[in-house]
Amino acid sequence: MSRSPRASGYFRTGYAQEIALTQTRLERISLIIFVLLLPAFPFLATAFYLDLACQVFLASIGAFALMLLTGYAGQVSLGHAGLLSAGAFTAGILFREFNAPFWVTLPAAALSGALLGVIFGLPSLRLRGLYLAVSTLALHFVVVYLGGEYETKRGFSTGITVDPPRVAGYTISNPRVWYFVLLVFAAAALLICLNLLRSRTGRAWRAIRMHETVAEALGIGVAAHKLLAFVISSSMAAVAGALFAYYRGFVSVEAFSLFLSIQYVAMIIVGGMGSLLGAVLGAVFVTLFPYAIEAALMQLPNAQAYAGVLFAVNYAAFGVVMILFLLFEPLGLVGIWRRLQTYFLLWPFRHRPLAGPRR
Amino acid sequence: MQLAVNIIVLSAIYALIACGYVLIYRVSRVLNLAHGELMMLGAYLLLATASSFGGHPVIAIGAAIGLSLLVGVMVYLFLMRKMTGEMVLAAVLTTVALGILLRGLMVLIWSAQQQYPGQALGAANPALVLPGGGRISTFAALLVVTTVLVYAGLFVFLRFGRWGVRMRAAGQNPLLAAQRGINLHAVYALAWGLSTLTGSLAGMLIALDSGLTNTMVVIGLKAFPAALVGGLDSLAGALIGALIIGAAEVLSIQYIDPLLSDVVPFLVLIVMLVLRPWGLLGTREELDRV
Amino acid sequence: MRPSFVIAAALAAFASPALAQDAYVVGITAALTGPPASTYAPAIEALRIYLDRVNAAGGVNGKKITLVIQDDSAEPSKAAANAKKLLTQDNAVLMINASLSSTYAPVVNEAKNAGVPLLFAASVCPKDVYPPAAEGQFCTTAFASTFDSRAALSFIKETAKEPVKIGFSAMAIPLSRGEIDFAESQAPALGMTAVDKEIIPPPTADYTPFATKIKDAGANWVFSWAPWVTQVRTFEALRRLGWTGDYLTWAHLEAEGELKRIKDDRLFVIGANSLFDDNLPIQKDIADAAKAAGAKYPPEQMTEGWVAGMVIEAALKGAGWPATSAKVQASMVNLKVDLKGLRGGPIEWTKENHFRTKQYYRVYRWDGAKTAVMKDWFAYDVK
Repeated sequence: MSRSPRASGYFRTGYAQEIALTQTRLERISLIIFVLLLPAFPFLATAFYLDLACQVFLASIGAFALMLLTGYAGQVSLGHAGLLSAGAFTAGILFREFNAPFWVTLPAAALSGALLGVIFGLPSLRLRGLYLAVSTLALHFVVVYLGGEYETKRGFSTGITVDPPRVAGYTISNPRVWYFVLLVFAAAALLICLNLLRSRTGRAWRAIRMHETVAEALGIGVAAHKLLAFVISSSMAAVAGALFAYYRGFVSVEAFSLFLSIQYVAMIIVGGMGSLLGAVLGAVFVTLFPYAIEAALMQLPNAQAYAGVLFAVNYAAFGVVMILFLLFEPLGLVGIWRRLQTYFLLWPFRHRPLAGPRR
Repeated sequence: MQLAVNIIVLSAIYALIACGYVLIYRVSRVLNLAHGELMMLGAYLLLATASSFGGHPVIAIGAAIGLSLLVGVMVYLFLMRKMTGEMVLAAVLTTVALGILLRGLMVLIWSAQQQYPGQALGAANPALVLPGGGRISTFAALLVVTTVLVYAGLFVFLRFGRWGVRMRAAGQNPLLAAQRGINLHAVYALAWGLSTLTGSLAGMLIALDSGLTNTMVVIGLKAFPAALVGGLDSLAGALIGALIIGAAEVLSIQYIDPLLSDVVPFLVLIVMLVLRPWGLLGTREELDRV
Repeated sequence: MRPSFVIAAALAAFASPALAQDAYVVGITAALTGPPASTYAPAIEALRIYLDRVNAAGGVNGKKITLVIQDDSAEPSKAAANAKKLLTQDNAVLMINASLSSTYAPVVNEAKNAGVPLLFAASVCPKDVYPPAAEGQFCTTAFASTFDSRAALSFIKETAKEPVKIGFSAMAIPLSRGEIDFAESQAPALGMTAVDKEIIPPPTADYTPFATKIKDAGANWVFSWAPWVTQVRTFEALRRLGWTGDYLTWAHLEAEGELKRIKDDRLFVIGANSLFDDNLPIQKDIADAAKAAGAKYPPEQMTEGWVAGMVIEAALKGAGWPATSAKVQASMVNLKVDLKGLRGGPIEWTKENHFRTKQYYRVYRWDGAKTAVMKDWFAYDVK
């Protein structure tokens, strides 16, 4: 468990303290403040920002899923959009064909995600690295193709519309309510990931990522854990996809392009691999990036003329940012954050002293 | 007969694109997922030179080819050089990001409209009748001939040319090659330049034959399974892989379901990955760096 | 887990421009970029030029029209976010959707919740604008599903000199497939034999295999209703194979320029807009305005946007000032706009019909020197 450096005095005396979520009083207080701020947000923001926040929550669930798979278990996946689409289509199909309620479609989406995860994960038993990425890419195309075929064969030429979900007689359609619902889901996803990583499974994944052969030699069932990583990651992604379908009220195959997969990969790279905070930061960054670019462009004179090239500028800027992070900051935003933390914690020193507490 | 012609044309397209993937992978073990975009850039460069050198198609094409070689070398020098020695995934993602950047730039510079470089060059594209009754357009025939020439040239170059041998050496064992005195950066730059050149040729010829749209990038991606099926580091494999994928696609259009043609390359890819991940003629590798 | 202060910082960095409410605010979400952009971007530019001219001449009811254009690159989530922003932050009184049909559902929802009328311009007309029409949705787009096929097939029946063996070509997108399926089903009733139907995925490197099948099936006429790329490439592939039949296809924005490029006199395009070779006064108007504004797209591609601009101007005029979305909607329900020859007849809306009461078609072809009318305006009643 990598932790930022502490000056001194924070010694852990028991296993429970080792895996606790917050280690210091400062961390606890900041967490409490943050947790209090989050619910206040919807009452302070306009509908537009509320929508942005909801998009960020949806993106972060998907980012957590991918972070588990690639950042911790070390299995490269370029087919994330395919998994999201599987969840969205499951929810859409069940709703359309069988009029299934919310509390049926969501677990069904998770189940279909898990099944698909097994299929996506099977190549990982034989392949690694590049070839694994390529196999997930190919599977993504197949899944998206199947979704498109379903859409056409069943006559949903403009996509499948999904009614707002009803839970216990109450329809979730108010944006503020959605905010809280998605906040709960995102927090739940985060807790699931944190707990998984603190447990045996998380340690097994880290071992597999470091060196597979050694992990096998240590008695960790490598094949089983790899598949488990895929299954858990995929079902989480499918749930994110289903939530996405309900939030937008709409499922269509065009939303799940290769670019979406790359955006999720960018989220974990820009955020910083191997860190859940990185997943969140990455999700926030990638989701808000196009809007920031747009806001920046709108400040220029004759703004409306640029509306036509906005997307191209977005693409280009996105590519540039990704390249910059890959070249210069491979640890991502989390790396920057930790460097910032270190600077302030160690100030006026620049580096840790040679002798002293070792972590 | 027409069926055979169609298969050959499609396979030639995929083969010409695939050799770009193979060149870079064989020499530096990097998968260049920006190849589709570089291909499209080549076609746009032709459009640009065609408008500048209006009446002289040969000069326009030559200039475009030269420019694309330069672009490939520059991509390596300014971008990929910093990624040598890093994780494979990081290098691949860098190429993906490069592809996205290029796509944005191309729309910014040339707008998203369909373009016709052939028209700008004033080149006609009549159909040729082949013995046996099949018909092929001039530029498609030119593409087939170009593919054959390019492959022949690459075979000879890699086997006998001085720099070709260096490229093979760098691909087999970079450390030894460097210690032997081979300038790795120069070799990699050359590989990138050649790859972009062949990709641009493919892009230009496709654009001359049927026009420039932004679906060319997806065609570039569909040619990737051809490279992989044959073995990512084998040129002969790329040729065979392209034939297999091209045949599969055309036959599925003819006999099974035209809609499958989009997905068929990837289905073949999956089958290949399950049976023999390193391709038909590729070298078996361990790849446990992520 | 450290709190993300990034969200707070991002919030602070956002400056939301407050729009002067002393103007009519029209919000647009359009696919200005992304693969289908070539269909929508010229229309939006034309719309912008038209409304800029209106503003320069003093505006409508003495007030200017403010256009807020958001790009959604044909992605439903972006379109939904755009719609939310346009409706809540910019307080648009009229919304326009010029994007792929997959963006419709969320945008329709948002507009319905806000009670703001939604106009579909240059994008395919949804079912809800045909009678009986849903309250807030209107459409000015030229092409119309099922009517287009009917018009096309009746033209073929009239023009064919021998029994028709018809082949079809569509792009593998739901809209195009649905239309071609419908056309195929109508063919037998008109005495035509449908011999082949090709559904072609968008990213196809070579259209020859598909064209081979059509040719081998023995078609002497081919009808294609799809984005222009598919239509024209199927045609070119067929010609390259030595096929000598007649090809009828929909006149998209690019059609006029393409007819001039291809110069084939057996290529017919059917459409609802007049082509610029007709040299109508209003078309000269458009060309001049486009040149003056330094437009990126050629004037021939601006008809859709111009029509939309005329309709918007009329709607806002009818709504008076101060304008509310309810008044604009009421004004649109009884709108009749004379298009001065750009189409075969006026755009006429009623309470039940938000598409138009009559849909007019014309067929053009290349006659050796310019684009010529092959069959003049014929109309279908839209009930």
